[in-house]
Amino acid sequence: MKSEESVTKETVERLCAQAELALAPERRTRLVPMLAGLIGAANELSRKMAAAAHRSILPILRFPER
Amino acid sequence: MAQGNLLDLTIIEAAAQLERRRLSPVELTEAMLQRIGNVDKQIRAYITVCDEQAREVAGATERMIRAGYYLGPLHGIPVALKDNIYTRGVRTTAGSKILADFIPTEDATVAARLKRAGAIIVGKTNMHEFAWGGTTDNPHHGTCRNPWNPERFPAGSSGGSGAAVAARTCLGALGTDTGGSIRLPSSVNGIVGIRPTIGRVSNYNVVPLAWTMDTVSPMTRTVEDCVVMFEAIAGYDPFDEHSAHAPMADYRAELPRPVRGLRVGLVRDYSLTHVQKAVGDAVRAALKRLEELGAQVEEIAMPSIHGNISAQLTIESCEPSAYHQQWLRTRAADYGEDVRTLLELGEMYLATHYIQAQRYRSLLRKEFLEGFKRVDVFLTPTLPFTATPCGATEVVIEGNRKEDMLSAIMQFTGVPSLAGLPALSLPIGFDPDGLPVGMQVIGRPFDEGTLFRVGHAYQQATDWHTRSPRL
Repeated sequence: MKSEESVTKETVERLCAQAELALAPERRTRLVPMLAGLIGAANELSRKMAAAAHRSILPILRFPER
Repeated sequence: MAQGNLLDLTIIEAAAQLERRRLSPVELTEAMLQRIGNVDKQIRAYITVCDEQAREVAGATERMIRAGYYLGPLHGIPVALKDNIYTRGVRTTAGSKILADFIPTEDATVAARLKRAGAIIVGKTNMHEFAWGGTTDNPHHGTCRNPWNPERFPAGSSGGSGAAVAARTCLGALGTDTGGSIRLPSSVNGIVGIRPTIGRVSNYNVVPLAWTMDTVSPMTRTVEDCVVMFEAIAGYDPFDEHSAHAPMADYRAELPRPVRGLRVGLVRDYSLTHVQKAVGDAVRAALKRLEELGAQVEEIAMPSIHGNISAQLTIESCEPSAYHQQWLRTRAADYGEDVRTLLELGEMYLATHYIQAQRYRSLLRKEFLEGFKRVDVFLTPTLPFTATPCGATEVVIEGNRKEDMLSAIMQFTGVPSLAGLPALSLPIGFDPDGLPVGMQVIGRPFDEGTLFRVGHAYQQATDWHTRSPRL
């Protein structure tokens, strides 16, 4: 299923509930297409990073000093 | 000296005259304050002008220099700071309504270091609200405009710092750069700006955007001036947990070293791809100029580079949303609409998205470090287009296809931000509408010196940086 289809008003409603973020219905509706685009791209990156060739790669939160 | 002449002085030129007492810091500061008064109603580069404090410091500076206490090349130089950098006793809004009345009780390390070097702070510059955006179309403090054409944007988020320097209202400014916020306004305002290696310059007492990507650094008209400011602020700071112990070079002494034999990399299918024609033409001409100076150009494949925009959007969404979590629940209406929306979206990613984006950074960095075995620097345009009209949320790069501004603007600057590499933007020409074009030079970790050297050599061979907007 594509992200454009999987991100719906209900998805945003559920995510807001999980985050305890109270948003008016019209704001939630407005977020749907934007979130679909962002999550679609993030899912594509996740698939890339899940490839066997990248299994040993660690997240980087702090860079080495040299 | 005539005011017009004073406005065009670089830091190096002004410093030489201040040291010899041929120029008074009071005269220079007054010229800048008067210039702010003349042009800033139109440009809106400043949120706060520190006129009273600047005059007081300029008077004291004059007395010090007259008494033989000359501190160095920033002594008596009027500078501006982006308004997310704490300044003791001077309000620091971060371009927001939420912090509109925040007056810090201590300086950021970078502000303290500039003061210690004798710089005179003339004001705090306009910025995209909380640095989360690239236009400096600020709903609380006014739309900042580009001095080359006030109908066009100054980019951002350090748009005020870029416009302030280009408009000759200060000799240099500090900005902050997370995904491009120094380099983007440097490019569209026709000035120089460097994003340092993460850890090279202290972030202490700077309002954060994204903790793992934030940096602070100078924006000036020449590379040499940039070095002077950089040397004053860079170096280990015990107050910043991410500060690095990496040794500093004598950057100014290294500037005259020629670039003959320097190996310049272009990333295949990336460095000159998907850019406006004028931008591509200017970068190709700059490359040719560097080749004439003895640099050797090589193309290098970097298979992972195309995931960069998603990774940057993910990290730059999640981290600010964590920082702003409580305010978003208690003061949501006090945010501008664009920033509020981005903060809401940032709460809706999965943890796995964020972690995969941080893993992508390792992959990208690894590919760059491999590439640096073959070349000394990589070149790209700073951004793929020149300044767009103020208020635009979409941009046309190729054909007639409109693209979302936020993603398009990150095309080149996001890469070094993610990989933790230093990157310099410098002016390399103008488009047919007279709008500046910038080029980005990316270097090895903590090798800001080579970036300065390349930029300085280019500026010695060209005159783009000497041109000024008609305001």
